[in-house]
Amino acid sequence: MRNLIVAFDDLGRSVLRTVEEMGSILIFFVSVMVWMFRPPLRLRLIFKQMEFVGVKSLFVVVLTGTFTGMVMALQGYYGFRMFSAESMVGSTVALGMTRELGPVLTALMVTARAGSAMAAELGTMKVTEQIDALYVMSANPIKYLIVPRVIAGVLTLPALTIVADFVGILGGYFVGVPVLGINAGAFVNNITMLVGLDDIYNGLVKAAFFGFILSLFGCYKGFTMTGGAEGVGKATTEAVVLSSISILVSDYFLTAIMF
Amino acid sequence: MSVISTEAKVGLFILIALIILGYMSFQVGEYGFGLKKGYLVKAVFDNVSGLEKDASVVIAGVEVGRVEGVSLVHGKALVLMRILPEVMLERDASVSIKTHGVLGDKYVEIVPGTVGEEYLLDGGVITNVKKQADIDQLLRDLGSISSDVMKVTSSLENVISGEEGEANLKAIMTNTRELMENLNNIVKRNDEKVSVMISNFSNASKEMERAFTSLNEIVDKINRGEGTIGQLVKDEGVFDNLDKTIASLREIAEKINEGKGSIGRLVNEEETVDNINASLKSLDTSMEGINKYITKTDQFRTFVSYRGEYLFEEDNAKSYVELKLRPREDKYYIVGVVADPRGKRSVTDRTVDGTTSRIEEWDRNELLFNAEIAKRYKDVVLRGGLLESTGGVGIDYFAFNDDLKLTFEAFDFDSERNPHLKFYAEYGIFNHIYLSAGYDDFISDEGNESPFAGFSIKFEDEDLKYLLSNVPIP
Amino acid sequence: MIKLVDVHKSFGDNHVLRGLNLEIDKGKTTVIIGRSGGGKSVLLKHIIGLLKPDKGQVIVDGVDVAGLNDREMNEVRKNFGVLFQGSALFDSMTVGENVAFPLREHTKKKDREIRKIVSERLRAVGLTGVEEIMPSELSGGMRKRAGLARAIALHPQVVLFDEPTTGLDPVMTEAVNELIINTQRDFNLTCVATSHDMQSIFTIGHKIAMIYEGEVVAYGTPEEIRKSENPVLKQFLSGSLEGPINIL
Repeated sequence: MRNLIVAFDDLGRSVLRTVEEMGSILIFFVSVMVWMFRPPLRLRLIFKQMEFVGVKSLFVVVLTGTFTGMVMALQGYYGFRMFSAESMVGSTVALGMTRELGPVLTALMVTARAGSAMAAELGTMKVTEQIDALYVMSANPIKYLIVPRVIAGVLTLPALTIVADFVGILGGYFVGVPVLGINAGAFVNNITMLVGLDDIYNGLVKAAFFGFILSLFGCYKGFTMTGGAEGVGKATTEAVVLSSISILVSDYFLTAIMF
Repeated sequence: MSVISTEAKVGLFILIALIILGYMSFQVGEYGFGLKKGYLVKAVFDNVSGLEKDASVVIAGVEVGRVEGVSLVHGKALVLMRILPEVMLERDASVSIKTHGVLGDKYVEIVPGTVGEEYLLDGGVITNVKKQADIDQLLRDLGSISSDVMKVTSSLENVISGEEGEANLKAIMTNTRELMENLNNIVKRNDEKVSVMISNFSNASKEMERAFTSLNEIVDKINRGEGTIGQLVKDEGVFDNLDKTIASLREIAEKINEGKGSIGRLVNEEETVDNINASLKSLDTSMEGINKYITKTDQFRTFVSYRGEYLFEEDNAKSYVELKLRPREDKYYIVGVVADPRGKRSVTDRTVDGTTSRIEEWDRNELLFNAEIAKRYKDVVLRGGLLESTGGVGIDYFAFNDDLKLTFEAFDFDSERNPHLKFYAEYGIFNHIYLSAGYDDFISDEGNESPFAGFSIKFEDEDLKYLLSNVPIP
Repeated sequence: MIKLVDVHKSFGDNHVLRGLNLEIDKGKTTVIIGRSGGGKSVLLKHIIGLLKPDKGQVIVDGVDVAGLNDREMNEVRKNFGVLFQGSALFDSMTVGENVAFPLREHTKKKDREIRKIVSERLRAVGLTGVEEIMPSELSGGMRKRAGLARAIALHPQVVLFDEPTTGLDPVMTEAVNELIINTQRDFNLTCVATSHDMQSIFTIGHKIAMIYEGEVVAYGTPEEIRKSENPVLKQFLSGSLEGPINIL
């Protein structure tokens, strides 16, 4: 009986904590939106973050994109060979990359690379009172630290995604045509026929949304962390987990709305 | 530290991404949804099962449009098709739904109507809807054939089965045996006569073979589409008239064998076919010339727009009134006036007692002018000229059926201050109403930077359009 | 100048400030002493408006800062400089950019002018030629100096010091004390410092306030404090285990 009561107590507490956290994320989101539209727009800071989130993630995104495209071509080939429809591999790779894997994998890689770094950096700044220092010098940390990161996330993710789409299709081509011997013309023709502009654009809209999610949650976890060096580590982990889950869950809903 | 600046790296990165996006946009989709080219025609079908949005619309196997949408009207399917503007359809053109291969996608096929007939306009309806000779129909026909076969076999069965039937069969067999015996006797008795008869038969079969060869040749010609009959056979549903066609074919073949009939001569005479082809061709060129003129005047369009922008930092509004002249789809001119709350800047150097002082004045009542020339490449518009009474350039990017416009402008280049940069997004919410938001003069070093939000109204001046289409355009 | 009236503040169950009253003199250095975790930093954060009191008033130049909105608070903060415990220099910027930060944020000065002020301020705290160095390459003492240079960049009237000498060796402690005294005199500052370093307290303080159990239990000049018969103060100054202070 006592155990039961304790269990209920724990359950209630965790529900309460979750609700509380959702509320505070919402408040955080609103204040970020408010500060985003208050001038001045700090272009230098945005460029700096775009370099960090975008340019420096380029290599890892190209790598994952290429290999994903190659694997899809290989897997698709074994399936389509049964129906002698090998040239469909091209459009399968292209549609898979542009609609789904391009945005999602890019977002997950950037979360791991940049989202975690945002949480760690802001957490460290909080521990060493740098965030207090910003307040004291009348520079709002949300405006100064978070808005540039969120804007950079929204702007760079679509750019990274289009690169991932492209190298993924290239990777699929190089596995499909020279290695597996699919007819090059049929391969390319299938892509241009079955892939529409909306497939690409919707993938990019998704990517922008994911960029917003990962930068917002990374910043949120870092900005609201407590408890010294250990807290920084915890905030980083939580930021990656929360962003990754949110990206995958919101992907479902975005797909349901768009396609 | 690295030599390349942050800005350069980011700029290069974004540039690469944009180039890839541009390349991919050009590759996919023959005419992207960015440019809403072409006019709409409608057709009502009994059944369009399997026909999807964006399916091809073809004439003679060449894609000339896409299916825009399918909807239900009074229990029938209304199919909206967008046809390329350079393709003109006659009022009596026929339309049918076909299938790629046996299990492939459905598409719409249009067969052009009579030459010289009036053309369909935007929103026109193709009334000549052909029943589809598709796989469903074929399967239905096959079903009825097999049921016929079944009926025959079952009646046969009725005849044969049962005691009575058995007795009949036995009687038939006995009769046959008797007949064979009699025949044998006759043959034995007339051995010589029989051998003569057989040689006659052999000669007759040789004659028959020759007749079949000539028939084959004729059918081949028809198949290749030579001559008017070929055209006729190709156009009509073979399935529907198969019996009739074969019957008449046999008749024709017989007549041709006998060397009779004008059709036979026509088929064999090469000259006649050439004459018909030549006259068709000359008609085609004259139509082309007419088409060119019609499309040209049709494309000249004029737009008038008002745009208001509320500058948050200035607490004031900036207004634009613009006239856009578009002689061709991908080229236009913009002239307009701008009312800026800051007004027009004028700089004068005044020398008093040897010291020169520069005086900057802002005249609030002065209007600014825009005069630009613009060229459109697919989804991107590059323009340049006079922007707010200073030299400048701009770039627009269109997406989502031209509903969304992203714009970046740079003007007022001056060595003493940063250029005036501006970017904004504009989105069409209703037919003529657009909402916009952006950042004006965002690298100003004089504190002029301000975010803004606003709206614009655009409409095409129909009256002006008709007036101008009567004036010859160089 | 700065006046705290009946300030209460709790964090959860922890009632840190319990009706604290304190008046800080203009143009003097006031040192706040007390036990670790006794509310000294919390008190400083109330003065600068980073924390708002649950009850009571914090009056700066006759205005209750607890009731100000962000914009008004920012105006008040321009008169303040703060030297944080760990200096709180921004890791991502060079020392020069750190010192220039408040100038860029709050003034419309041109680049050249800002650079001149930065090197002036750095010289005032005894640093030269460090503008292009990253803070992580500086020693603890040099970081304090750079932090102070940033705190006085806007020429504020009030500078707050949060544990300025904690974690420094005795020689460096003396050097920082010297620096605080000189800067206070040269710029005619009102200084508020928290500390539990006995040497510093009596070297830099014109006035000393002792916080115990969330209240000011003693306030006066160094002389008065030294002579005080207050048992809490006596135990704190002598560092004795015997007395009213509950060690657990």
